[in-house]
Amino acid sequence: MASETPNTPTLRAVETLAWKLRRRQIVGSRATALETLLVLRQVISKSRFSNMEQLVSIIRSVGRRLVEAQPKEHSVGNTVRKVLHHIREEYHTATRGSAAASYSAFSISKFVLLGQPRKQTALPKTESKGSLKENDPDDPDSFARSLKPVLMEAIQDVLDELETVYDNVSKNAQNHIHSDEIILTLGMSKTVEAFLISAAHNRNYTVMVLETAPSYGGRDMAKALSGAGISTFLVPDSSLYGLMSRVNKVILGAHAILANGGMFAITGSLLAATAAHAHSTPVVVCAGQFKLTPLWNLYHEYGALDFGDPSQVLGFEEDSLVDKVDVVNPFYDYLQPNLIDAFITNDGDHPPSSIYRLIKETYDDEDNEL
Amino acid sequence: MDIWATYQRKLEDVQISPPLAAILALVDLCATSTAGTMFELVKALNEGSDSLKQHSPNPISINAGCELFIAFVTLFPHDSASFSDLKMELVKQGEIYVRQALTYRRKIGELAVDFIKDDSVILTHSYSRVVMETLLLAHRSKRISVFVTEARPRGLGVKTADALTAAGIPCTVILDSAVAYAMDKVDCVLVGSEAVVESGGLINAVGSLNIAIIAKAANKPFYALAESYKFHRLFPLSQYDLPSHNPRILSFPPPIERDTVLASSTSPIPSSGYEVFITQEEIAKNNPDVDYTRPDLISLVFSDIGSLTPGGVSAYLVGMFAG
Repeated sequence: MASETPNTPTLRAVETLAWKLRRRQIVGSRATALETLLVLRQVISKSRFSNMEQLVSIIRSVGRRLVEAQPKEHSVGNTVRKVLHHIREEYHTATRGSAAASYSAFSISKFVLLGQPRKQTALPKTESKGSLKENDPDDPDSFARSLKPVLMEAIQDVLDELETVYDNVSKNAQNHIHSDEIILTLGMSKTVEAFLISAAHNRNYTVMVLETAPSYGGRDMAKALSGAGISTFLVPDSSLYGLMSRVNKVILGAHAILANGGMFAITGSLLAATAAHAHSTPVVVCAGQFKLTPLWNLYHEYGALDFGDPSQVLGFEEDSLVDKVDVVNPFYDYLQPNLIDAFITNDGDHPPSSIYRLIKETYDDEDNEL
Repeated sequence: MDIWATYQRKLEDVQISPPLAAILALVDLCATSTAGTMFELVKALNEGSDSLKQHSPNPISINAGCELFIAFVTLFPHDSASFSDLKMELVKQGEIYVRQALTYRRKIGELAVDFIKDDSVILTHSYSRVVMETLLLAHRSKRISVFVTEARPRGLGVKTADALTAAGIPCTVILDSAVAYAMDKVDCVLVGSEAVVESGGLINAVGSLNIAIIAKAANKPFYALAESYKFHRLFPLSQYDLPSHNPRILSFPPPIERDTVLASSTSPIPSSGYEVFITQEEIAKNNPDVDYTRPDLISLVFSDIGSLTPGGVSAYLVGMFAG
């Protein structure tokens, strides 16, 4: 079908992003989510479709292309799923009333799935919007024309959420960090940085930052935090366990939050969380909700393993060793849900056990596999 | 109408599990009922479900089906002109649901298969249709081998082993008492269920709790498979809160008269050549058929409505029965 393949300029935008993702020119969950959203906006505004299925399949095909380019950046797929969810919502509000009344479709399986029938669903039959017409043979673009403005608004909402994510996560920072506490963190996470700096406006506390070899993101983090006037210690990774008895709270960033409440996070996180568990120190994760991923840790063999550059571990200057050893530099750890006490997100704080519910609310089940 | 006989007849179909048979029996009751009002109909259905429960030695799973159907009947939004139309509609809905429900095992299998690694060893307990479906499905794409417990007193593990061996899956029956011995070789535990309760815990053939505790101790995932019609609004705090518990279970026999003990032997423990007085049947009589597995021991519940954490089950039960 001609209308299903996006035309050349949008296709080029998709391909450009796919290549950037593949070459890791864009990294980090938020950056990739933003780029994905911008490309999707372009695709939707340029593409031609005359019914809902066509629109969904266009977005899905773009989503598939991007996810395949970089399957480890889960926020790409999440953004696509979220956009699809919003589009369906807009579509349902626009067509409500013209669709058959919901109660006749009430069945036991729906009862199990959705619970007791709500009173409102049976009521509004009146406000039928005649303007939205699918598959109009005379004017195939009429559906797209009438739906596009609301779709653009929906995408703008997602965009706004992404742009305000740091502010919203750190909104309640002062309720989580108390005066004179010692906080341990690791790696360079923009979310955690914003959270800690926001708490420092009201609280006087100390942060210990692990160096986080081999990427040494901790050094950047320590620089950023001390720059903001927080009393900061940069400590080597190996002293983690020894320091843990003095730490009041461990605050981590996330790469992706999985459906069971576990997460992928920078290497070293598992070590820190396990040490915290042994000392019964609370482990708190700061992350935007765009990191919620409707997946389980199913990649048994390759785990959370996304391998980084081995030269960070063993450079070519050690030429006598290079051909004698295998160097593995895994990027992420998988943390089980029982190691995490709370997720602080841009939309409230949640325990790991309720992540599955957030995911059910945020995405449609049919999109879990793009 | 004899609802128990109807229930038994429905159960003859091997695909129909007790909760579905109970729903079908209630559907028949609905169809033949002379009730002229909703109140009368619900009363008749409640009596029917009570009668089913009284006849059955283990009412838990029947109860789950009955409660689901009765809740559905009372909440069914209707604007039918006549009450008999409404009854016909309810009968139709019940039959549609049972037909749909027969596809659920397949759906659950597809969800659970993703969690089974290639080349893995799976431990299962007793016999469960949904576990069988999952294992057979996994066998198509992955190399699996299975340990199945004998599952005394009913010994249904042997049935599982026969069916799996016939399908070409390497399978060994292990003693219920050898679960801890085998656990180190196991990659994950898959069990079916009689009912999943509101806490997210599991009611299943006795021995499931042992396996869950051992799996937890060995850090192995314990997965429960349950069709959503097995979700049951019950919150047992201990084993003895289950409706299947009765005073006979775990009861002590009346003490033997002291004189007879003295007369028969001088030492309290028979030293050699003693006869066996207790038969297997007698042991089974004082033992439970099902036990309750706490939610903290369960990794995930696979159901036709998705893979849920144990806590997720209660959200669905509350959606159906509270409000």
